[in-house]
Amino acid sequence: MIDGFRRVGRRLAVGVRRVLRVARWESARASGGVDRRTLAAGVALLLVAGGVVGVGVATGVAGLDVDQDVYRVGVDAESPYSEAIEDAPSLRPVAAGTASLGDSADAVVVTVVEPGSGADGSIDAADVEEVVVRASDTRKGEAAAASVREAVESHNERLMRAEPNRTAAFPVVVTLRYVGRTTPLDGGATLGGSDGGTGGSGGQSAGGTDATDSDGDGSGTDADDTGADESSATDSNGDADADGPSGDERTSGGSDETDGDGSATDAPDTTDDGAGSDDDGGFAVPSIGGAAFGADTVGSPGSITPPFPFTSLLLAFAFLVPMNFLIQAYGSSILDERTNRRGEPLLVTPLSPAEIVAGKTLPYAAAAAVVTSLIALLVGGGALSVVAVAPVAATFLGATFVGAMFARSFKELTFVTVGVSVLLTTYAFVPAIFTNVTPVALVSPLTLVVFDLQGEAVSAGEVLFSTAPMAVGAALLFGLGLGVYREEDMFSQKPVTRKFLDALAVRLSAVPVGGGRGVAIPGRKRLRALGSVAFLTACTIPFVFVAELLAVAVLFALPVTVSIPVLLVTIAFIEEVAKSIGLYAGFERGVFERTDRVALAVGLASGTGFFLAEKATAVVQAVGLTELFLGRAAFADVSGFSGLPPIALAALFFAPLVLHVAATSAASVGASRGRTAYALALTLATLGHAAYNVGVVSLG
Amino acid sequence: MDSRLTIAGRELAGLRAEKTILLAIGIQLFIATFSSFLVVGLVSMYDPGALDGAEIEVAAAGDAVDDLERAASEVPGASVTPYEDADAARSAFDRNAADAVVVTTRTESGRVSAAVTAPDSTVETTVIVVQLRELLRTYELNERDARASYLEESPLPLPDRSDTSPYFTFTYTVLIPLLVFLPVFISGSLIVDSITEELDQGTMELLRVAPVTLAEIVDGKAAAAIGIAPGQALLWLLLLEANGTSVANVGPILALMTALTTLVVAVAVGIAAVAPDRQAAQLLYSVAVLVLFGGATAMAGGPANAVARLAIDSAGATTGVLVVAYAGIAAAAYLGVRRVVAVEGFGR
Repeated sequence: MIDGFRRVGRRLAVGVRRVLRVARWESARASGGVDRRTLAAGVALLLVAGGVVGVGVATGVAGLDVDQDVYRVGVDAESPYSEAIEDAPSLRPVAAGTASLGDSADAVVVTVVEPGSGADGSIDAADVEEVVVRASDTRKGEAAAASVREAVESHNERLMRAEPNRTAAFPVVVTLRYVGRTTPLDGGATLGGSDGGTGGSGGQSAGGTDATDSDGDGSGTDADDTGADESSATDSNGDADADGPSGDERTSGGSDETDGDGSATDAPDTTDDGAGSDDDGGFAVPSIGGAAFGADTVGSPGSITPPFPFTSLLLAFAFLVPMNFLIQAYGSSILDERTNRRGEPLLVTPLSPAEIVAGKTLPYAAAAAVVTSLIALLVGGGALSVVAVAPVAATFLGATFVGAMFARSFKELTFVTVGVSVLLTTYAFVPAIFTNVTPVALVSPLTLVVFDLQGEAVSAGEVLFSTAPMAVGAALLFGLGLGVYREEDMFSQKPVTRKFLDALAVRLSAVPVGGGRGVAIPGRKRLRALGSVAFLTACTIPFVFVAELLAVAVLFALPVTVSIPVLLVTIAFIEEVAKSIGLYAGFERGVFERTDRVALAVGLASGTGFFLAEKATAVVQAVGLTELFLGRAAFADVSGFSGLPPIALAALFFAPLVLHVAATSAASVGASRGRTAYALALTLATLGHAAYNVGVVSLG
Repeated sequence: MDSRLTIAGRELAGLRAEKTILLAIGIQLFIATFSSFLVVGLVSMYDPGALDGAEIEVAAAGDAVDDLERAASEVPGASVTPYEDADAARSAFDRNAADAVVVTTRTESGRVSAAVTAPDSTVETTVIVVQLRELLRTYELNERDARASYLEESPLPLPDRSDTSPYFTFTYTVLIPLLVFLPVFISGSLIVDSITEELDQGTMELLRVAPVTLAEIVDGKAAAAIGIAPGQALLWLLLLEANGTSVANVGPILALMTALTTLVVAVAVGIAAVAPDRQAAQLLYSVAVLVLFGGATAMAGGPANAVARLAIDSAGATTGVLVVAYAGIAAAAYLGVRRVVAVEGFGR
């Protein structure tokens, strides 16, 4: 027993030493690949660009106004509105006299002035009785008119900020609190504290600076709110420290989309009228967790921002950016092994392919870990951020590894790399946008990063739910790629599809047939062969899951009458392909005998494997995905069984098993007869599966 | 000329054989669908009008409640019910009879203090807060009007609200430039790979012993890379047209993007010629493109803004000049790089 442990330990130590040796060699090679000159050139380019953009921004020449001058608005030069139009980046003023609507102008500002005024040519704002915006009768005209209104609003806001009489300029001070409905409220606290408006309002939400003012509000919030609120209260506290005197200023960082005058937030600070410096502060210091749930805001009505974790999202995105550069280098390194048979010497060494790949991957994984930790330190994330990003990085590397193993040329690799970047970035990023809205957001580990940056508590279960699927997916991808890390696949120019089939077929073994006399060969060999089929199919589940989620997301924008039928067929197709592609690979590569008996046997095994794996992932129910209508269509067969008699329940429970087995057997028989028959059988199986799905949806 | 066409044809045949161009178009389609999905999703979160008739119910209390009711009558999508005191309003909120509570109090300093309570962590919170902001801004305007005599500068009267779709501006200023410029980056990346691959595998030597000059090789490869870009952009513009988004000035847009493709391809050829291997070349290319486009977009009248203005039909004479200027820069850059490569060769 102890001997056995010792032997295993020794083998492990040898393996680790080998992996490390390859890793050392790879990192030496990689740092030689990108030589100092290239690195210096890259850094110099970045510095120059950063300098130019920085100077541009500082001097006001540059600005990221992609919508600059997209609407042309006719306005007289002496009209008080011309200044408002000129100040709005998206509007270009044209002389009202010469402008013709729809041709050289999209909207025209017409002012009605009081009789008797404006005799000397210029019109004072106070004399304007009414203003009308005439817009061309197009969507562009409507958009232009809306922009004019916004421009006038922000112009007014700027005027008011310059007013010496703050009380008249900003007569309303708003204190916004988020409260859960179940929480008993201490009504007096809010009322008592709201008589501020004299300097104290800035620090109110921070809760730490309330020594200066006597509001019961700040402390009241801390006392009767939930844990999540408390942690975000501390968050905004740190924020207030960074920003300076006004704690409510963080709203200006996150509000640039929805309201054109985000910098108006400092308005209620009667004592502090340094509008310019506040603007800079709001821009330069990214406010972490700004406008999150539970973070209270104080300010003029214009400063209210809807709860949207804009800044946290932006910072979470920063974690993904370095991955794109990393996988470029990694993909190149893997493909380099394959061009001109360069990797052959390594293959003939006693190192196993797994050790080689682990060694080659290790430096990049380490680089990802270092970069992620650095970013986490910079943006104020904790260990949770690093843990959450780890599976994302692993999946980036895994997908690139598979891509580099399948690609035939650098050109192909480039597209694979871009594809991997785009797909994974959207998969990680898009759900995170809905962080505070729905628990489905947790399918992306990036959601954890957003939570971490907002300072909200996350349970261990949530972390597991969020990171485990992606980690498993990454492991499976490496497994897939390792299957073709062998001489006959590495150095040959096979099309991607054939390599993919190779990679699948490697995982299968022949199914022995019982000599045609109806006596099945009992025994382990047969079971093991069928077991490997079932396991291979079960492994497709994470990818099926992702593909179905993407289908739901893409079809989300269509009207329900179109999206539901399309979705049902798409999902049936995805599942049928997942179940039968491995079988097709087995038949094509000659692993399985092309007989109906074998086809039926492997079909049965594959369908069962899929059924078991699907039941294991019934956790989707737990996160409430089934509440969405589209979600219900996609994952119908794991929910909605309550309130039925036991026999019907059992029938319903095993109905998917019958479906999967029957459909896959049909596809399998087709697969055993060649490509055309497989395509036909797959279509049939998909239609049958879709019909079943329709039945389930209409039943539910 | 003939040999250039042969080289260009060989490049395109390689792309076709690997079906990479299909993958490229697939990626672009994916980006376009997803960014649209993103915007539709976000807008339906932000624009209560997009949700049918979303109206919020506000429980109000305090001594300034009448004015708040007056403001609510001017705002579509918010109605105010007065309650006797703050506790009554709060209990209405707690039993779900109201979406939010606003307690307005007049302070000694002459201001109005509004204590707003909104529900925590529900899907509707965003909608509620957006509507509350609208209500309170109207309220602020009314209060400001009442104090207008104390102001030095009176604010300008606002024009009426108009109905507009928030994605209109997005489509023209983000989506169309994005779709037009994606093929540009792809073309540049292609030529980096094409040249470094030939150098790496030694086939460039074979090409050199054929009766073609280096300049002709560069021309042929560049022609293939530049040639496939406008077609892709045109495809996107036609697709948008079919979807009901009319794009103006298609010709100038394609001219501008072809000029930019030429510029990027020139940069890519230059980088491929000097970089030691493919890895370094791709890295430098990514950084250079990032710098080039980041810098250009940040400047006033950058290419993204120019495309937006052309597409939305707000282009002036300056935009035309800009297109010509980009074409001039691109031609000069390409000819310069071609000459250097023809003289120096691919240096490794």
